[in-house]
Amino acid sequence: MRLPRQAWLLAKNDLRQELRDLELLATAGFFTLVVLVMFGLSFASLGRKVQPLAIPGMLWLAVAFVGTLTLTRIFDREREADTLRALLTAPVERVAIYVSKAFVTLLVLLGCCLILVPGLVFMFPAAQVMAEQPLRTAALVVLGCTSYAAVGTVFAAGLATSSGKNVLLSVILYPLTSPALMWSLVATRALLERHPDLPTYLAQLAALDVLLVVLGGWLFESVLVGTARSATASGRARGRRR
Amino acid sequence: MSEAVTPLELDGIGKRFGRLSVLRGVDLRVEAGEVVGLIGANGSGKTTLLNIAVGLLAPTEGERRLGGRRAPQVELADRMRIAFVTHTTQLYPRLTARENLRLFAELRAAAGDAAALPDPLLERLGLAHAADRMVGTFSRGMMQRLALARALQGRPQLLLLDEPFTALDRPGRERLAEVLVEERAAGLAVLLSSHDYDAVVAVTDRVVLLEGGRLGGEARRGEGPEAAGYRDRVAALGLLRPSAGVDGRAEEAARA
Repeated sequence: MRLPRQAWLLAKNDLRQELRDLELLATAGFFTLVVLVMFGLSFASLGRKVQPLAIPGMLWLAVAFVGTLTLTRIFDREREADTLRALLTAPVERVAIYVSKAFVTLLVLLGCCLILVPGLVFMFPAAQVMAEQPLRTAALVVLGCTSYAAVGTVFAAGLATSSGKNVLLSVILYPLTSPALMWSLVATRALLERHPDLPTYLAQLAALDVLLVVLGGWLFESVLVGTARSATASGRARGRRR
Repeated sequence: MSEAVTPLELDGIGKRFGRLSVLRGVDLRVEAGEVVGLIGANGSGKTTLLNIAVGLLAPTEGERRLGGRRAPQVELADRMRIAFVTHTTQLYPRLTARENLRLFAELRAAAGDAAALPDPLLERLGLAHAADRMVGTFSRGMMQRLALARALQGRPQLLLLDEPFTALDRPGRERLAEVLVEERAAGLAVLLSSHDYDAVVAVTDRVVLLEGGRLGGEARRGEGPEAAGYRDRVAALGLLRPSAGVDGRAEEAARA
């Protein structure tokens, strides 16, 4: 029970701080709204037949943008006050840090999807299917966002102390999350077209999630400890230069 | 009668960053109930040595032993017995002092280790009045004391302190010195790096000099007639100079 308990404590700690300054939620939420309005203005005239081709792209492109924005900031609190090293030297499972950060990222993404999905339903008639099948839509959104958060959190940790983190994160993150995003795109299109194989797509997406979470958890410790070590080393080098 | 286990042993520790050799053949032991001061010029490798001791860095050569056991990796069980306080304090600024302590106490409890309650520790470090204030509003010295409170709440066997007296005013330094003396009496092993002459003399049993990545000398607090010369022996190491107006009060208080 150590891992889930510690992961929950760390996530709760992040959420407590987030609720005090709304740094992540306000930024991500406002950005989602802007993207949604821009999509609405740009694609409002699309015919209903071609809408199912465009809506999945709008949904997951917005998730990718918001996800990158969130992931560049998800370790900010640890970076700002160097608390990452406090966690690394405390009796804390490193995987618990991964699970907590991925969970908070997922919550932010899901919060944005709470704006995105109703917005798309409101603006595009073809997206009505999402309102008609709320459970399948919810499953799709949760599974798609989980895969993104699972991959993204590992690399956000790896770049947590890099000065060019925003650029590097985008450059590394997009290619690595592409398979997860594409799978989500395909499943979304199947949902909009009421494809009978949608449950199979969702099951495949769930399997991908399990794979990515396990892989992320496995890689995380070496990425995180390597980051802390390089931060220690670069701190030393800076000290020497001074 | 069981033999006391040495909390920290570093044997022949070397560390290179690329082609830069930072530590070379450092041998250091810190016994239970002993406070060892690590002094040296900037860039002499003090922080690197502390980072190796706590497991944030792996040595390039040599062996690290924690609690008498070889520790090529510092595992979770080892981290239960070690506490590390650095000059960056590593506290969450958007949490209160009590919340900061409670978080780490709960994480420790989840790992199966009981931690001291936050309030008595805050009281002991003189922070009870600020327990519910956001740490971001604290002065540097208050953060330093809070970081020490967090370190002590796990009742560690080994405490590593990197420049713990930085930013502390005189009462703060004296309080920290008192706490260290009390913890030493309770059997805590402490390794601290510091540039503060008075503090080093007041709280340490032994001072080792790190020079160019090697151990360059040692001054040990003696007993009997030897005891009086400790200040001079530390000063003779050459890197720490007695500060102006030293009157020995801190040392006397500590020894008392």
